[in-house]
Amino acid sequence: MKRTIINTAAIVALGVTSVFADLDLEKDELKFGFIKLTDCAPLVIAKEKGFFEDEGIQAEVIAQPNWKTLLDNVINGNLDGAHMLSGQPIAATIGIGTQADVITAFTMDLNGNGITVSNAIWEEMQFNDPDLDTPTPKHPISAKGLKPIVDEKLDAGEKLQMGMVFPVSTHNYELRYWLAASDIHPGMYTESDTGGRTDAQVELSVTPPPMMPTVLEAGNIQGYCVGEPWNQQAVAKGIGVPVTTNYDVWKNNPEKVFGVTKEWNAANPNTHIAVVKALIRAGKWLDEKDADGNFVNREEAVRILSQPNYVGADYDVIKNSMTGTFIFQKSDVRKMPEFNVFFDHYATYPWYSDGIWFLTQMRRWGQITESKPASWYFDTVQKVYQPDIYLQAATLLLEEGLIENSDVPWNTDGYKPATTEFIDGVEYDGRDPIGYINSHKIGNKDAEGLASK
Amino acid sequence: MKFKILKALDVAGLQVFDPVVRLICGENPPEQVRKILLFIGVPIVTFIVFLGVWTYLAPRHTTKAGEVPTPGVVKSAADGIWTFHVRENQKATDFLLEGDAREAALTAVEARIAELEPLAAAAKVKLDELDAAAKAKIDAEAAPLQEQYKEMRKTSRDENKATKAALIAEADKLPVNDAAARDAFLAKVAAFDLKQEADKQAQKDFKAKIDAAYTTKFPEMEAVRSEYNGYEEELQYLSKRLDYLTGDNQSLKIAGESTELNELEATFLTAEGGKATFAAAEKVLKKQEAITRISDSEYSRPWTFPRQIARSVWCVFVGFFIGTAIAVPLGVVCGLSRVCMAALTPLIALFKPVSPIVWLPIVFIIVGGFISDPELAPVHPAFLSSAITVALCSLWPTLVNTALGVASVEKDHVNVARVLRLGFFSRLFKIVLPSALPLIFAGLRISLGVGWMVLIAAELLSSSEGIGKFVWDMFNNGSSQTFAQMFVVVFVVGAVGLLLDRIMIVLQRSVSFDGAPTAI
Repeated sequence: MKRTIINTAAIVALGVTSVFADLDLEKDELKFGFIKLTDCAPLVIAKEKGFFEDEGIQAEVIAQPNWKTLLDNVINGNLDGAHMLSGQPIAATIGIGTQADVITAFTMDLNGNGITVSNAIWEEMQFNDPDLDTPTPKHPISAKGLKPIVDEKLDAGEKLQMGMVFPVSTHNYELRYWLAASDIHPGMYTESDTGGRTDAQVELSVTPPPMMPTVLEAGNIQGYCVGEPWNQQAVAKGIGVPVTTNYDVWKNNPEKVFGVTKEWNAANPNTHIAVVKALIRAGKWLDEKDADGNFVNREEAVRILSQPNYVGADYDVIKNSMTGTFIFQKSDVRKMPEFNVFFDHYATYPWYSDGIWFLTQMRRWGQITESKPASWYFDTVQKVYQPDIYLQAATLLLEEGLIENSDVPWNTDGYKPATTEFIDGVEYDGRDPIGYINSHKIGNKDAEGLASK
Repeated sequence: MKFKILKALDVAGLQVFDPVVRLICGENPPEQVRKILLFIGVPIVTFIVFLGVWTYLAPRHTTKAGEVPTPGVVKSAADGIWTFHVRENQKATDFLLEGDAREAALTAVEARIAELEPLAAAAKVKLDELDAAAKAKIDAEAAPLQEQYKEMRKTSRDENKATKAALIAEADKLPVNDAAARDAFLAKVAAFDLKQEADKQAQKDFKAKIDAAYTTKFPEMEAVRSEYNGYEEELQYLSKRLDYLTGDNQSLKIAGESTELNELEATFLTAEGGKATFAAAEKVLKKQEAITRISDSEYSRPWTFPRQIARSVWCVFVGFFIGTAIAVPLGVVCGLSRVCMAALTPLIALFKPVSPIVWLPIVFIIVGGFISDPELAPVHPAFLSSAITVALCSLWPTLVNTALGVASVEKDHVNVARVLRLGFFSRLFKIVLPSALPLIFAGLRISLGVGWMVLIAAELLSSSEGIGKFVWDMFNNGSSQTFAQMFVVVFVVGAVGLLLDRIMIVLQRSVSFDGAPTAI
């Protein structure tokens, strides 16, 4: 608790320094939208800790009812920018769903989702795989134990139903990835099937995050993939068991971004840089650690997030995941310090390779209906991801001494090194999207020749 | 005097208080007391019984989503909503405070922080202790159970394995075509299956016991936890207040900028050389601009429930007036002309039953087409869409009633108008409308009621600030308060609806000359 009066007194004594002399803001009263999930933290913190005010911005941070409305509000100008699913700016740009040019210069966080199944399914999974039937089963848990249940249901002429939050959400792709890694077909999107259920062995449907536990309890779905606090809620209410987190599906995967329209960016370039500056500081503040590697500011962040106009869930529920513990079962409380990453591993930088991963998943599952050459992937991601803006903001912050030189990947080409840290160990290299699409057993395949085009 | 009051009560639709006035004036006391008991005593008793039943039943219905809140919990949720409102207002005030008032507030806040910090620390220590104790207790209880469970599962698995092996061995020796022996074997296999099922069930039951151990409640710990959370929340609020009284305070910010402005102006005065002077001049102007901007800035306050209620009431009236402006003229035309009536009847019948949920997206798209930049629009598009949706859903009762009222003007009156050779407009305003007014107002009253119900749904969908948005936001929070907050909304919506209805009753009565009775 560093709530010392001395600090604030010092500020008064020094007078108020104006930081925003450098940037000519085109607009200083901004409205940002967010969805009530803990990973909206950078936006909320930038407001509540005064990082926006330091830039001369008066920001209003407004809860949105669902991802669709949030995107619509950004596109029609009700909002200046918003906390978005990584897939949203990409999908909007290439015209999946609402077509609009939405860009991003800031990644809000890594990880932060979980896959939860109902108690009944968990029991059957335990029965199928006795290794799971201990108070603390070994992780990561694959969907292998789920396979016999799926088959049994199929024999009975039924399909297991699972929920995710939005067709182009990370949750959708993660859930599909997890299922497909254990040879369960989650269904394909086709031109005529925008619900993504063609050939499905498990049917996925869209459910808004706050409805997940309720719908699970009602038995309409048997499992779901969603962000926090909705997995911990299921445990707290005793209606489901989180079997895995997306940290296990893909270690340190990109999750949410801060999106604005291209038009807005063109009209307010300096304001955009100022906003990104404030967000970078918020990210850094959230991930600040003491010498022992414990988060310094997370408890305060949780206190702020649990206010009813922000995430609003109970302090003790949000606290779990945000301070690095995750409750899988009442008997299974684990340390997961990287459940939410807001700054480490260059988390806030808008990596091209992250954008390309989402594009490959959209192609893999048929949301992108036709084959595209590799160059199309590179061009598209460069339309959406704007590291230039990020680097301008970072340069200013460095000059002001608010971040370290080592906080920013200054000389990267925007592609993370190839990684195999997936639940099935398949290698992903953002420079070879076609090869990656073809390396999966389930899903669309493209002609090899496209890789060099 | 007495009769004036009675008349006023009558017009206001508050006849229930009639006997009270009469009693005070000493008119037939036994009769009045009897009436008071009936019209005031009985409702109060009913309400108390209702509260009692609620208090009794609520804790007895527990779902996994939570417990049904008791009146006490609902009250505390209402308090929480109010506290949030008060605190946000306080922050807004702090932002604008200057001079001595700021100093005084600052001292008060610092004193309160100094008072709370040790309390919070103490509560934290106590909470940690209790928490550790609770954990230890749970572990002590659950660990042996877990062991037992493991043992139980192992035994059952081993047994079943052995039985299965034995059965297979037996099957090996089964004589072919010996129906009796085969039947006996079948029975054995069936018994084996049954045993397996029974084992599974026993294990499940045992697991429930383990779960129960994990979900043991520790009321003392919960009490300390909520106490600690209360302290910490207030501290969080106070630290934010500190910000607004110090670094983020408007007057201080302006003061800081002004000092800098003075310096810049000094530099500008002494600047030499064209380039430097120009740059200095620009800096001065920029600083001046910044100062204006800060003095114009406001604390960006989140919408709190009381403000949302006010906004909802405003929205329902806007929608209601739009609806009335369409419905009354249209109703009059329909009432006057049979052709119009015949022409519009199918349309009215077609659109009347359409739900607000369907209207809203359509209205949204249409309104959005007229408002390209919401920043510059005089009204927020979401607000306008909600209001128009209210209008579309609520205009039908008024429309139908107006048409009916106009069509059923007494023949004699119409004949008189003919004899007097009144023009169309005199006939309309002197004869038709006055005699149709009671019915029109009856329609308006229904319309306003419908509009109020529709509005909540419209706001929920359009995320226009208002009660509907509050409901959705609180539902999305999924906190332990959510359930109780919904009950608060029930009472608020009910109370506002009641108030609106009373207003319409007053209006309706003031235009009914025959003292037409009104429903409750």
